[in-house]
Formats: sequence, C-alpha cells, structure tokens
Amino acid sequence: MEGNGPQWLAPTSLDEALGMRAELQEEATVVAGGTFVGVLMNVGFMAPAALLSLRGVPGLSYIRADGELRIGPMTTHRAMELSPDVRRGWPALARAFGEVASPRVRNQATVGGVLADADYASDPPAMFLAMGARAVLRGPKGVREVPIENFILGYYETALAPDELLVEVRVPGGVEAGVYRKFRTRSSEDRPCVSVAAVRRGGELRLAVGAATSTPQYFPDLCAAVGSGTRRAREIGEEYASRIEPISDSRGSAEYRRRVIAVEVRRALEELAYV
Amino acid sequence: MSDPTRSSDTMSDPRADGSIRYSQDMEMEGMWHARILRSPYAHARIRRIDTSAVPEGVVVLTRDDIRDLNRYGCQIRDESVLAMDEVMFVGAPVVAVAAATRRAADEALPLIDVDYDELPAVFTEMEAIAPGAPLVHPRHYISENDAAYFGMRPIDGTNICHRFRIRHGDVDRAFAECDVVVEEVFTTDSAAHVPMEPHASLARWHEGRLEVWSGTQTPFNNRMDLAGIFGLQPEQVRIVCPPMGGSFGAKTFVRTEAIAAALARKTGRPVKVVLDRAEEWQTMNRHPATLWMKIGAMRDGTLVAKHVACWANTGAHADSGPGVAQKMGYASPGPYRIPNVWVDSHCVYTNTPPNGAYRGYGQMQCIWASERLMDMLARRLDMDPYTLRMKNILREGDTYCTGEIMHDVAFEECLRRSAEAIGYHTSDDHAGKGVCVLMKGMQTPSRASIAIEAEDDGTFTIRCATIEMGQGARPAIRQMAAELLGVPMERVTYPDPDTDLVPYDTRTTSSRSTHVMSRALVEAVRDLEKNGKRGVGEVTDKGGLDPDTGQGIASSHWHQGAAGAVVDVDVETGKLHVRHVHASIYAGKVVRRAAAELQNEGSIIMGLGTALFENITFDGGQVTNANLSDYNIPSFHDMPRITHDLVEREGAQVYGLGETALPPIPAAIGNALAASGIHMTALPMTAERVLASIDGGGTVDEARRREMRDIVEAGLHRSEKS
Repeated sequence: MEGNGPQWLAPTSLDEALGMRAELQEEATVVAGGTFVGVLMNVGFMAPAALLSLRGVPGLSYIRADGELRIGPMTTHRAMELSPDVRRGWPALARAFGEVASPRVRNQATVGGVLADADYASDPPAMFLAMGARAVLRGPKGVREVPIENFILGYYETALAPDELLVEVRVPGGVEAGVYRKFRTRSSEDRPCVSVAAVRRGGELRLAVGAATSTPQYFPDLCAAVGSGTRRAREIGEEYASRIEPISDSRGSAEYRRRVIAVEVRRALEELAYV
Repeated sequence: MSDPTRSSDTMSDPRADGSIRYSQDMEMEGMWHARILRSPYAHARIRRIDTSAVPEGVVVLTRDDIRDLNRYGCQIRDESVLAMDEVMFVGAPVVAVAAATRRAADEALPLIDVDYDELPAVFTEMEAIAPGAPLVHPRHYISENDAAYFGMRPIDGTNICHRFRIRHGDVDRAFAECDVVVEEVFTTDSAAHVPMEPHASLARWHEGRLEVWSGTQTPFNNRMDLAGIFGLQPEQVRIVCPPMGGSFGAKTFVRTEAIAAALARKTGRPVKVVLDRAEEWQTMNRHPATLWMKIGAMRDGTLVAKHVACWANTGAHADSGPGVAQKMGYASPGPYRIPNVWVDSHCVYTNTPPNGAYRGYGQMQCIWASERLMDMLARRLDMDPYTLRMKNILREGDTYCTGEIMHDVAFEECLRRSAEAIGYHTSDDHAGKGVCVLMKGMQTPSRASIAIEAEDDGTFTIRCATIEMGQGARPAIRQMAAELLGVPMERVTYPDPDTDLVPYDTRTTSSRSTHVMSRALVEAVRDLEKNGKRGVGEVTDKGGLDPDTGQGIASSHWHQGAAGAVVDVDVETGKLHVRHVHASIYAGKVVRRAAAELQNEGSIIMGLGTALFENITFDGGQVTNANLSDYNIPSFHDMPRITHDLVEREGAQVYGLGETALPPIPAAIGNALAASGIHMTALPMTAERVLASIDGGGTVDEARRREMRDIVEAGLHRSEKS
C-alpha cells in the first residue's frame, strides 16, 4: 500500500539498535512482538513516525537458568510458558505467562514488550514483581538494573530513558512456592479484573496485586507481617483492599475490585499455606 | 465465481481453502474506495461542512449532493443517505468520500471540518418515554417497503415509533381473583453481532440502472428501498448477494448500500464500502430492553392472568425495531395456556446507534423476563418450576392468546428432554439447576419462491433469493432439490442470488428459509416435470396480527425449544461458572444433521455470551468498547459442557432452527441461580451483578421495583391516551 506509513527501522545488531534509539529517542517507537503497538496503531490511538523493530537483532531471545533466571527481551510468552527451566525453578512464572490471552497472542508477545508497555491490565508484571525480578536497561551511559517495582511507574510509564533499551530480565532463584491467581470477569481470553501474584522464598513473602490500578501493588510491611505470622490472611486481604485505590473499567468497578482484592489476596495466601 | 456450497463438509470447502469471495472481496475495474466521516455528537444540528482542504483525486459526498434523494427505512422512513440538518447518534454518517485507494480516502477524512450545535439527547428507553424527553424524530412516516408488513402504530410527538397490544380477556379483573400474583422488572443490555466479515457493498451505475453487490440478508427489501431513494422503479435496481462471512441479523436492510450508490453516482465509477471493525458498533446492534411483567395464578398453579409492558430501545433509526418490539410482545406470554393476557410493547427511539435484527429477534429479551418470572411464581407457590410449567404448557390443539390454534406442538417434549439432560430431577431442591421453555415466531406473513432450471448438460441451476451467511441454507436447499430431482447433489448448482434472475422471496431471516424453501421446492420440481425447462414453486403464508388487539396469526409456524443449565457460583466474588447447558430444539425433520447441530451449538455459544458478559457500554451515547479487546465474545475456554438435541417426528415438516437455541440460554442460567437463592433481573449476569444480588440476600430491591412500576404505569397511561 502506498502512502506515508511509519518509517520501519530494522537494526541487525544490538549496538545498531541502541545507536538508533539514542539518536531518535521518542521519535521512534520500539516494537518487539507488536501485540501492543500493532493494536494501538490499528485502532488509531498511536501514529508513530518511525518503528524501531528488534525482530532482526540476534541474540535477544533466550532463557538461561543458572541459579538466577536470565530472560532475553525478545523471548515470547509461549517460550516462558513452556520452558522446562522456568517450569522447574519458577513454575508460578510459567503459569502466569500461560494465562495470557490465547496461544496466538502468546506466540507473538514478548517479555520485554509486556514490561516496557507497562499496561496496567497485563499479567506478567505483577508476577515479575512478586518474583523480585529486575529489568536490565542499557543506554549510552551504560547498564543499570532496576527492580520491577521501580521500573513500572504509572499507566504505560516506565523508568526507561528515551535512549535506553530493556535488554534482559533477571529473576532470582530459590523460589519455595509461588501462586498466580488471575481473576477474570468476562472471557477466559480477557485480561484480569484483578490478579494476585505471590512468592515465598527463604521465609520471605512478596505479594503483588495486578490489574487493579496503574501499577502492580506491593506492600512490604504487610508481607512481612504475614511472614512473621502476626497477621492473618483475611486481615492482609482486607488491608490490601483498603490501601489500593482501584480503577473502574469494563472489567469491574472500583468498589467491586476492592471486594475481589480482599478475597483473592486471602486465597493466594491460603494457597501458600498462610492462614 | 466459485460455488461456496460445493462439498461444504470437506477441506475443499472454499471457506477453508480461501477461494470463497465474500462481499468485501468484490472488485471491479476502475473501482474506488469509500470512507465515512461520522458524527462525534449524539444529537446536534450541523451548522457548516467545510471540505475545501480535501485534495484533488478524492470525491466528497455531502448533504448538498443528496438533496434530490428520498428518505428511506424498512419500516419507518426515518433515514437519509447522510445526515441532513441534524445528527442523531454518535457515529451517524455525515460526509462520505471516495478515492482510488482506501488510504487516500482515509487520509481525506481529518481534512473535513464540520461545525455542530449540540442538542439535548436521550439514551435509554425509559428516559426516552419520560414526559418532556427530547424527541429524536418529531414525526414518524410509515415506510412503503414491504418490510412494513404489519399495522404500524407510531405515536407522533413521542419517541415511540410503534406500539403493539394484545387484549385477551380482562387482566385487571382476573388478577383480583388470583391466589398469588408476582411482578418484576427485567432489563437486557445491548450486544454486538460480531460477524467475522464487516458490512461491505459495491455499487455502480450501468446503462441507467443501479447495480449493487452486497452482503445482505434482504435483497428484495434493499432493492425496494434503493429504488425509493433514487426515484427508480424496483426493476431498475439489481442486487447481487455474494456469501457473507456471518451476519446474525446485522446485515439486514439498507446499511452501506445507499452511500456506495450515491458515491458511485457522483464519481461515475464503481464504489466499494467496507466498514472497519469499530464502525460495526455504530451501524447495527441489538435492542436493549426494559420489560415489566405481572403474572397471577391459583393456589394449584393454574395460570390465570398475565400483563406485560416492554420497551425496546431501537436507537436513532427504527430500522426493523417495530418488528422486533412486536415479536417481543407477542411471544412474551410464553407457551402457556393463560385465559387473560394483556401486552403493551413499544419500540422507542433514543440517540444511540440503530438497533435491529439480532439472532432471535426480540425473543431472548422477552424469554429472559417471562421465564425468570415463571420461576419466581413457582417459588411463591412453593411448586417445582418444572411442574408449574408442565401444568400450564401449550399442547396440541390449544389456543394461544392471539386466538390461533397450535399445531404440531412439541414444547412438553423439549422441556422434558432438557430437564432430563441436565439431571434436573436428581435432587429435590434443584440447587444450581434451571430450565426454560420457549416459543419463537417466524416471519408471518411471508412469500417464498424458487426456480429450478434444467441445463443442457444434465445439471440443474437453482434460482433462489435465499442468502448464504454461513448458516448452511444453500447446501440444505441444494440437498433437498437433489433428493426431489433424484440426482447427486453435485449436479445441482446454486449461484449467488441476483434479483434480476431469482424469483421473489421475503428475505433470509427468522430461521424461515429451509422451511419455506422445502415446501416451494416440491412445487418447483412438480412444475419442472411438466414443462421440462424451468420449474417455479411458490408458497405464501398468510397471517399477521391486529396491532391493537393482538388477535390473528402471529406465526404460521412456531419455533419451539427448551434449555437447561447447571451452574455454580463463587459466592465471595459473584463469579458464575456454567457447568453444563443443554438445548432441545424441535426440528420436525432434520435436513443436514451436521449443519443443524452446528446451528444449535452456535446459538448456545452466542446465548452464553449474552448471559454472562456481552454488553455494549456507552458514555453520552458514545460506544466505549467498540473493539474486541474491550467487548468480549466467548472463547473456546469459556465453553461449559454443551449438549443438545434435535427433536424429530415422523412425517413432520422441516422446521427452521437457526436461532431457537439462543433465547433460552440466559433464562435457564438465571433460573439455575434462582434455585440457589440468587435472584437476577438484569442481563448480562456479570460477576459484579451476581455479587450485588448475593449481598441483597437474593431479595428484590423493592424501591427499584416501585420506581419501575411508577414508570410503567405512567408510560402505559400515556400510550393508552394516544
């Protein structure tokens, strides 16, 4: 088709990609699997001047498990769901990826994409947060590691600088138990109305509520109180519900989400054998 | 063009190998592409349209180009090709453009400047009937299209474009004599049809005639409306109907064809219109409805009286809404013997996109209300809901409240089978189990004709206006013809319907085609045997109802069915898990079993979407979920255990069954919840609504019921005066 579509930039090495990113910054939209950018462009919500595709950059799709889990940004959701390494050491993470949309979407959507989009209604961010994962960002000034809770800052807003790319996700090992509860109010292919991701590791608990507001919600003090046995699961659920300011959208009102958060947080804790 | 019905049960099916040509695939030399600029306001006066920034090479069509064209509408003449003085819904076509490429047309739209003066708007059917509500159309002009087939009763000076009544017995006196009376107000939200192929048409002017290729279920109605718009004789308009990638009622009557034709007239070229997915939500949806019902019985469960008042929200154009409201009204008493029945059904304008035919045509809404009400009555009587139904169910030779005698009646058998299939009788309290029985009318009166032409090579060509939209009507008709002719099906071809070549047929709606064409075919084959070259068969079904008394023949042929559902509920979140649904549908005689089973399954799946979560949301008349991420339809993983049966009888006619299994699904699920003490009155039964009902202890909000009754009484009073 003729016309003035976005310019298509297809670097063939990471250095070339970083160079284009540093030069064009916000003038080019980075595209990985295209399940987010493509949909927004199709409905007219986004009309970028240029698309910087990472598809042709070699070496960005990998899963390495060696005590710590290292994930390349172009790794697909489907690869995360099916990886024997992930299923062995981080089974709740594999399950969370397996709950996203449909196989067709999971074959296309990437780990880097779902974090960099920072869509409040995606499944993996809350799970990564509960896992204590870190995003590895690379730019002209070098490489930095940012914990997920400091990486996702708001609706579609991250700590990525305009000259940086997300080049890896690192997840610590030693997971003793993990749970991902995706509460849907509509189709099984829908995004969550509320999700709860919780991980127990060395007596430490990290529990994050996803899809309820702009960013995954994690309260270390409450998690510590559960770990030490000073607060009951029901109380923690109610406390999460009262501290979170949920949004209203087509998947549920704010008031309804509060009810569900209390129930689903309690259930997640019960699954992890906290009572 | 390839024949899309060729061996449709194999992988050589053109739908599977990609060789099928849908309406949106139509191409013609020199063809241009159209795009439509739509209103951002729900109700506004158009002050000025400035198209001066549109570059050369793009042809722009505005109201100034169509002042010579007539208004149209299949039942009420309330549409113009583009908005003239006012826009009446968000998404109303205001300007259309055509260019050599779709992109060039797209890029012209933001260059057009339209100034509006916003006007007061009204969005729900109950707001629209309130005194002093803004009027969407001040006057209502009845259409001359033969789709206006019943006595139309618009009420000028109100937003009511049709009201239909049944007056059978004396309900007020009868209620006074009842032991038990229950009443309730039910609501249903809007829904989208979501065919895979969007609306598409291509028009050209050729040798003084208008030719249109369109994915439509209603070729002859469109021919009539297009002739009216352009001041032509119907014979000067030719409609050709390629197969559709689904319709479910969305592609009925004039949708995109008039814009394509007007652009073709201005450009002097063939012009094609293919809508975007988002435009589908602005083009045709399902009627939201509010239904108040009151039923009275004696202590032993004998039904005595029923009064129904319902309002169907038809959006800014009536379209077939009057017909939907009438059918919603006449089926709302349900398949029961009730000596006193009053029905007041209304079709109401609002400033929302038009609502029209949707698989089931108003029946889902009235069955949701009437069958939920039967369970309420059973509980009040301390009777099993199944037993209450069986005690009053219509049987062979009974008289319905319209005065018609019921023949070939199968309600009892359908209900019995559905209850057995879900294990209804295995527990006394039936917790989590519900049943529902339904009657559904077919287009009446109607006329169907079909021609069979014997070719020199020993093959036969069928000339028939029945449209293929994935429902399998063409293979069914080919198979029936082949059986009557005594030849293999491969020797019977069935080209795309073309109004220049096919004899008249009312339309491909209301699950009527396989039934009526099975009868017309017998005559056509008999006629062919006489003359050897071309045989024509025609059947006419008389009937119709008096719009003021509801007496007459509602349906020449009743669709009959029942459903059962097994559910459980997460009582802490309200999330509903449907375990099993079963539908029993009266088929009379099955023509193509695999296709008939798929019709049942497709209907059940759409019914599940309606029951559980499908819901078009609006903000100030603007659809806020016009995409398939925000508007969910059921997916494979949402499917519970689905079973169904096709009830057949020796010597019975062929019965239509394309829609029957949809309307009972929501009520069966609602009744299953009721058996667990959760009382639902609104569709869809979202988790949030179920939780609200659980919070209320399963009781009804009395304040809401009183408020609704006041609105109902005031509404009936006003419509009585007119």
